Amino acid sequence: MWYFVKKRGLKLLIIEDEFSLRQSMVDFLTASSYLCESASNFQDALEKIELYEYDCIILDIMLPDGSGLNLLKSLKENNKSDGVIIISAKGALDDKIRGIEMGADDYLAKPFHLSELAVRIAAIIRRKSFQGKSHMTLGNIIIDIQGKRVTVENKELDLTQKEYQLLLYLAINKNRVLSKNAIAQHLWGDDMDFPDNYDFIYAHIKNLRKKLVAAGTEDCIRSIYGEGYKMQIT
Amino acid sequence: MKLFTKYNRINITATICIFLAGSVAFYFVLDYVLIRQLDASLRSEKQEITEYIQEHQQLPEIQNTKEQWIQINKTDLPIEKPILKTIPVYNKAEAEQEYIRQLSFTVSVNQQYYLVAVNKSETETEELLKLIILVTISMVAMILLFNYLINRRLINAIWKPFYNTIHNIKDYAANKQALSLSKEPIDEINLLNESLNSMTEQIHKDFYALRSFTENASHEMQTPLAIIRSKVESLYQLAEGKEIMMQQLLSIEDACLKLSKLHQSLLLLTKLENKQFVLKESIHLKSILEQKIEERKELFESKKIDLQVNATDFEMQLHQHLSEILISNLLNNAIRYTALGGTISIVLNPQTLTISNTAIAGSLDTEKVFTRFYKASESGTGLGLSIIKEICIAAGFSIAYRFENETHYFIIDFQA
Repeated sequence: MWYFVKKRGLKLLIIEDEFSLRQSMVDFLTASSYLCESASNFQDALEKIELYEYDCIILDIMLPDGSGLNLLKSLKENNKSDGVIIISAKGALDDKIRGIEMGADDYLAKPFHLSELAVRIAAIIRRKSFQGKSHMTLGNIIIDIQGKRVTVENKELDLTQKEYQLLLYLAINKNRVLSKNAIAQHLWGDDMDFPDNYDFIYAHIKNLRKKLVAAGTEDCIRSIYGEGYKMQIT
Repeated sequence: MKLFTKYNRINITATICIFLAGSVAFYFVLDYVLIRQLDASLRSEKQEITEYIQEHQQLPEIQNTKEQWIQINKTDLPIEKPILKTIPVYNKAEAEQEYIRQLSFTVSVNQQYYLVAVNKSETETEELLKLIILVTISMVAMILLFNYLINRRLINAIWKPFYNTIHNIKDYAANKQALSLSKEPIDEINLLNESLNSMTEQIHKDFYALRSFTENASHEMQTPLAIIRSKVESLYQLAEGKEIMMQQLLSIEDACLKLSKLHQSLLLLTKLENKQFVLKESIHLKSILEQKIEERKELFESKKIDLQVNATDFEMQLHQHLSEILISNLLNNAIRYTALGGTISIVLNPQTLTISNTAIAGSLDTEKVFTRFYKASESGTGLGLSIIKEICIAAGFSIAYRFENETHYFIIDFQA
């Protein structure tokens, strides 16, 4: 996916007791060129954490034989620098705050979009392993994630904040169909309720496409019947 | 009415009644006894007179005193039996009505009948009666007074542990610790305390059991929802070129999203009702309001809504997350029920927060507007306004809905 993924496979550990969800995440993230390992219980997860190093650990808090928060504690006690993103059914604030306080890098409440998870993982890995220096290349588009700038053929694109977020989201989930729901939730969070037509998402997509095409890229954002979008990069 | 007052009322009324009835009976008994005594002395006087006449065959010398005097008159008709009666006389010296007791009988001296009337004043008897009654009444009064004073001290002392218990119960709330009332020397109160202790402990346990059940049930449902959603996301990848499939997947995802929101809302409502939030964080409503408006910028634009905000900045004690939910829900609500090109107006000051929007249809049902699952349109969970209301209740605010000039007004009063 990213150029550095090919150089050194990025390793993820997915700790989730529910088989189906674990499988979905493994499939999705493997398709994004990550090397995925998974654990379905506390003991298994603890062994893996102690033996190996991961670029990012996706951690479910509620495990049948222990709390994911204890895994987090053990990570910190062993001075491991693995990135951790908590996924929990508890949207409860205290869990979120506790998780972050105990050293988790991010928190995602269930149910979430896999594409959102991919974005969060990418952000954590970028912060952890490159000290913020990272660029992403898609065809002739270069995204400077640290500087939040986008250049095409050395010309900087003038994007609004939402357009930039949208582009990054599409880029991380490139070659994948993303629903309007997922895009809306990524850009606006989930405490908003959206009108049924999502017109304003279309407006953002349209503007972004126009700017990209004007800068000389191929028209890579495709609309899937107006219900979803996909960034096609070969 | 306090226990002591109630007890005293009954006690004093009963005591007064008993003493009144007693006094009346006492009066009549005393009166009867004294009159009998008077009669006895009249009879002995008669005896003396009769004996004197039999002995001397002449009328005795009469010495009248103030208390007793005898009238002897000649008569032709003897009376068979002596007559005893009370007769009223007017005392000129004292200028008052007096009663005398009179015993009349006939005697014969030398074939001549005489009617003898022996009179005794009842005044003395009455005086005695009065004195006795007076003493009785003052005794009754003293008994009542001492009774009252003793009872007050005693009852207050005896019932003190009871009042302590009541005081403790008043402050009790299900989400706080179970009561631990102390042991008392009085059995009944001790029993009451023990029962209350075990009862509140049970309530406490049940409360936590229910709470964790609600939370767990809600959480357990999020995982299957997460699975559905992730599978839908995978299916999207296969839906390219199949418009119907894409649309159907989107509806599944929508339903998933709605269900998950519904769970979160119900969980939040339960927590609010259980008073699980501590509303002690200092927050700035104005900045929250600005942030939430900024997040919804595109929504306002896409509905061409004219937004008018007049907010003053001030600090208040609330909960950061709850105040965000409060503002979000109010805004979501206003946006949802504003027609294309309508107006939303927000006024925030330290006393009130008013959000008004031009209506699409008429007034909402003022009775039901804050009830759960009340929906004026199809979208939304129908819990937004209930959550707003519960947050207001938790924070001690009052919220009102008004419909005027085709405009919905939601007014939160922070002072109420």
